[in-house]
Amino acid sequence: MDTDTQISEEEQDILQEIMNIAFGKAAADLAEVINIFVVLSVPDVRIIKADDLPDYIRTEFSEFGNISIVEQNFWGEFKGTALLIFPAGAGKELISLLGDGGELTFESQSSDILENETLMEVGNILIGACVGKVAELLKDMITYSPPRVIIEDQPNISMPKALFDPSNSAIILKTVFCFNERDVNGFLFLITSHNSVIWLKKALADFMEQYE
Amino acid sequence: MINKILIVDDSPVSRKMLKSCMPKDREYAFFEAFNGLDGLELYKKILPDITFMDLTMPVMDGATALDEIMKFDKNALVIVLTADVQVKSLAKVMDLGALLVVKKPPGKETIQDALSKAEERLR
Repeated sequence: MDTDTQISEEEQDILQEIMNIAFGKAAADLAEVINIFVVLSVPDVRIIKADDLPDYIRTEFSEFGNISIVEQNFWGEFKGTALLIFPAGAGKELISLLGDGGELTFESQSSDILENETLMEVGNILIGACVGKVAELLKDMITYSPPRVIIEDQPNISMPKALFDPSNSAIILKTVFCFNERDVNGFLFLITSHNSVIWLKKALADFMEQYE
Repeated sequence: MINKILIVDDSPVSRKMLKSCMPKDREYAFFEAFNGLDGLELYKKILPDITFMDLTMPVMDGATALDEIMKFDKNALVIVLTADVQVKSLAKVMDLGALLVVKKPPGKETIQDALSKAEERLR
């Protein structure tokens, strides 16, 4: 990993606090759409080599069996991929919540489609609010790709190869969203590449200047 | 008059941000704790004039610490400073006895307003 893309302990602390604020915003946005309370955890921030990501994901989710991943790309100065990972079947748990008050319509759709659409809706809200808040705090402007859902067979993670480019570093920003009423945990990761890290370091310094 | 301020937050950056928002023309004695349990113990030891309490923390969360502090001192002035802005979270801490809730990130004006409100209660 290049020294110019290594983040210091202080930068890590700043990023952790920014993610904490962003995750809080994401949870509140979700709670506005559906009647759910999200128990937030302290975010875990670390930087690893991108080609270590598959092993990292496998280790983190080894007890889950199959997993569902909502993937959404975002572009701005801060650029990367958000992965919201749930244990397989979480979508079914969440369907009833969205059905109670959400905007999805479920007429004559198969259960797999419903589950995917539910995960996409929840993912879109959480990722949008979270990444959007990070961008707002760091004075960036972000655009998003549409979310997509990938059902993964654990040992064979088939995420896009570009994510795991060995020349890239990946900033892992992990938090656990625990949906209280449904006993469902979701894990949100934001993965940014080498090019975003240099911008991010400056943006973090600029952010803290107002508090000096 | 506010003199002793206890800040309970696991994030060193958040503690720094909060202190930087305090009025510069006043001198405060700051005490810091890094989780709810340490915050509770420090509260009992120093009896601060006001406490700023984060919610999402390891070991003991802020809501639990707030509850314990209010049981120990029903007149405690606790300002919750949190990123968890869900309506249910805010309602819960107000029910537990928080003086008010300030959303992260803090701003100078918001913190000064919070301090003024606390000063009013102390009079």
